[in-house]
Amino acid sequence: MDFTHFFMTWIDLRLLALVGAGTFAGIYIGAIPGLSVTMAVSILISFTFGWEMYDALALMIGIYMGGVYGGSRTAILLNIPGAPSAIATALDGYPLAKKGLAGEAIGLSTTMSALGGLIGIAVLGFAAPAVSEFAIRFQPRDYMLLAILGILLVGSLSGESLIKGVFAGALGLTIGCVGLDPLTAQERFTFGYIELWGGISFVAVMIGLFGVSEALMQLKHINTPALKQKITRVIPSWKSVLKFLPLSVQTSLIGVIIGALPGTGGDIAALMSYDHAKRVTKNPEVPFGQGARAGLVAPETANNAAVGGAFIPMLTLGIPGDSVTAIIIGAMFIHGLNPGPMLMIERPEMFWFILGALVLATVFMLIFGLTGIRIFVKVVELPRAMLFPLILLLSIIGAFAVNNALTDVYWMLGFGVLGYFMKLYGYQLGPVILGVILSRLIDDNWRRAIISEREDLGRLFHGIFTSPLSLVLFMAVVAIFFTSTPLWPMLKNKLRKAAAKKDA
Amino acid sequence: MKLKLFGAVSAAALVIAGAAFAEYPEKEIQGIIQWGAGGSTDAVMRAVTPHAEEVLGGKVVMQNMTGGVGAIAAKFTMTQKADGYTLLMGAENPMLYKVMGLGNFDYNSDFEPVALLARGVPILVARPDAPYNTFKELVDYMAANPEEVKFGSTGPGGLPSVVTAMLDAEVDISATFVPYDGDGPALTALQGGAIDVMPAVLGAALEAIKAERIKVIALVDSTPNEALPGIPPITEDFPGYGKYLPWGPFFGVFVKAGTPDDVVAKLSAAYLEGAQATDFVELLHNRAYLPINLSGAEAKDYMAKWQSVTSWLVYDAGIAKKSPEDFDIPRP
Amino acid sequence: MHDPNRRLPGERIFSVLMVAVSLFLFYTATQISGLSGLAEPGSFPMFATGMMVITSTIITFKTLRLPHSDVHGWKSVFPGLVILTIILMGFYALALQPVGFLPTSFVFLTIANWVMARGNPLRAALTSALSLVLVYVVFRLVFSVLMPEGIVPEREILAYIGSILNGGVK
Repeated sequence: MDFTHFFMTWIDLRLLALVGAGTFAGIYIGAIPGLSVTMAVSILISFTFGWEMYDALALMIGIYMGGVYGGSRTAILLNIPGAPSAIATALDGYPLAKKGLAGEAIGLSTTMSALGGLIGIAVLGFAAPAVSEFAIRFQPRDYMLLAILGILLVGSLSGESLIKGVFAGALGLTIGCVGLDPLTAQERFTFGYIELWGGISFVAVMIGLFGVSEALMQLKHINTPALKQKITRVIPSWKSVLKFLPLSVQTSLIGVIIGALPGTGGDIAALMSYDHAKRVTKNPEVPFGQGARAGLVAPETANNAAVGGAFIPMLTLGIPGDSVTAIIIGAMFIHGLNPGPMLMIERPEMFWFILGALVLATVFMLIFGLTGIRIFVKVVELPRAMLFPLILLLSIIGAFAVNNALTDVYWMLGFGVLGYFMKLYGYQLGPVILGVILSRLIDDNWRRAIISEREDLGRLFHGIFTSPLSLVLFMAVVAIFFTSTPLWPMLKNKLRKAAAKKDA
Repeated sequence: MKLKLFGAVSAAALVIAGAAFAEYPEKEIQGIIQWGAGGSTDAVMRAVTPHAEEVLGGKVVMQNMTGGVGAIAAKFTMTQKADGYTLLMGAENPMLYKVMGLGNFDYNSDFEPVALLARGVPILVARPDAPYNTFKELVDYMAANPEEVKFGSTGPGGLPSVVTAMLDAEVDISATFVPYDGDGPALTALQGGAIDVMPAVLGAALEAIKAERIKVIALVDSTPNEALPGIPPITEDFPGYGKYLPWGPFFGVFVKAGTPDDVVAKLSAAYLEGAQATDFVELLHNRAYLPINLSGAEAKDYMAKWQSVTSWLVYDAGIAKKSPEDFDIPRP
Repeated sequence: MHDPNRRLPGERIFSVLMVAVSLFLFYTATQISGLSGLAEPGSFPMFATGMMVITSTIITFKTLRLPHSDVHGWKSVFPGLVILTIILMGFYALALQPVGFLPTSFVFLTIANWVMARGNPLRAALTSALSLVLVYVVFRLVFSVLMPEGIVPEREILAYIGSILNGGVK
């Protein structure tokens, strides 16, 4: 029976230990802004070269699951997301920690990450072929619409000033364009420097904007003693889990779908879920951005659900769902497997093995996540004079490690200083990073879509209106655009006045 | 035992060189992989290097350095000392930099080949429900429906552009070219029906072909391939392509020119022997890459011929920025 | 916290600077592939930078109309410590390549720690050395991130330690 492989990692002590060790390491790798899961997994390929396939996979899956979750730690405690998929977590997680509720916030995010992870795995287990057929049918125009939907999140990430948010978003889009155009190899914003051909690393921008600028900002309060954190109620009550259950199921499904789409991953999923939570949560206990728990639940469920999602096209079609699964595919080749559409037919036990290891990693994540909180929270209570230089150093190494290039370090520092001034003058940084993430998705797919229609806008719209998927996405774009800009209240007012006139 | 690799022991394990001191290699060697983690270059290099390490008796620390169509990694290697402690693990791209205007260097003029390991076989694939099954039928279809077929491409100088240029040199290719940023995303788009036809390297498409999610239109090679039973080489119907073939993207390990001969020889021996390891041979076989296993002058001749064929193809197709004549690259 | 109804010191200069940067980037974008076609490599950059120009101009006009903030002085906006840290990081970045990761980081950590804690320099050096060892083990040894070596022959030292661990120098 192939299904018995599901329990392989649960019974075999060595595999059990490997998944556990991987998850544990993953949590810390994810938490440190300079270390990424992608990097860890790619190093593991040469590291585990002589190992059995199952051993190597067990370790990689543990790291993957733990790493996606670990990014939330530093986001909540320091307002520095450890990984791109934790950017949305910081928005409401950090305000909670500022109120002394870091323990509760981490407890909630851990539980919800596990829940999201399990939902993602369940979809992988029961509906993988259907979801992958759906995902692969996404045409360039659908990706474009999805990315536009994403960029409209600027509306909910802008804070006090929408116009500053739009500026920040446009800046992000521009940063994303830098380098050799991936489609035509034309130089864009490179000013003749070969170092800029590869573009500005998105991770370097993130570390600068969120790591360095946050550290600089907090330097102002270096003398105020760190807030003592109350470590009560680490494990959330049933009541609060139940309360967030409907929301977390919705955001998990967003996470799985976005995770399953080749080319989009946990970072976009988390941001979109955050926006979704903001729209559907009618009465949050405090406004979003000030420590609303729903704002913590949504991105955390979504980014872990995206893990299961990313495995869907990988296991059914051999197409990576994100950068980590791309490396795992490479590792499977090296270990003599042939990931592709035939894998499920030729080696069905691999599917069950991965599924079992993912569930186990989620369990470990829950255990390690809930037990280590006391020690972890101490990080915020460390002397600032020790913590800040270390954060700055880690930021530098992290930026360097992305592509082993000093150029990324310079960019990181530049964006750190720019981020400081932007924060100071009331610009939110979320839209910048959103723009960088989505820039190529919009640009490439817009051009693909229009080139496919021989540069004929009429044919493009005909395509959008005749495909149900495109049409739904298009309607969503229109609806969100109107509700997040001042146009909607204006229109509503006019309608009301018109109605009043009629009545009169 | 394997668990011991964690923690402090791993630190020690990684630095144990095990080689005799004061003889190459007396310290860690840096291996710069020109393409990203998870790609074909990455997989080939990470698979062969552990075997080469055994022969060499040293440690090669590999890292990916992407960007600039591989130029960033090549330039970095050129700034390091020519002492054999920095290896460039790359693909064919630098041989086109000169004509594509991406840099004034290539493997033959600025590097010393350690080992050319393998080459890929180009093919033309289509979505399974496309109304043509052979290259001949495709040519007829395009003649009847100009610009209707959507061809996947990956930017000037990439494999699809070269293959398209080669095909276009003998027949009339009238299609709409939809650009993708790599053959992976383009093959995904092909399976999703966003494009109709795509020039690809056999290894990347093999699994999808086996599962009949895409079909092979042409094998762009001069000999049949055992991974594609029943598919004749393109030269059978169109002998005119014989003058360009065999052609394909290749992978190799290089050091900066000027590296001492005995160091290059030692590295070459290590990589060529490592490439004989059973699991590496099997990996190449599974991904349908053909072993080349050349070093020294033979490797240079191989690359010179490749450069001459490809440079003139892209130049004649109008996608090159400079003429191969400017660099004394002879017409084949 | 930023008060949207008051203008901070430097906010005017920053807004004007953003307009200038946006204009420059927009100009650069128009040079990529000209103004022809919807699907050119320059189309999207022109759209993005165009948005920057429009929004930054509106922001500047809004900012100019705001009353000056009376609560904040220059000093509270840019405390000496922030300026010092930025300068320190600038030097760090410049020295990293020629001098190497280990010495530069040690000096950086020590000075930063010392300045921020206003404490004992010796203690600062000790904490820095300790954190640096930790960082080095994790990044260099476990994750193989090869930071610039500079003046310290790291790989030779590591090979030497390796050969000792492996049974003495042969």
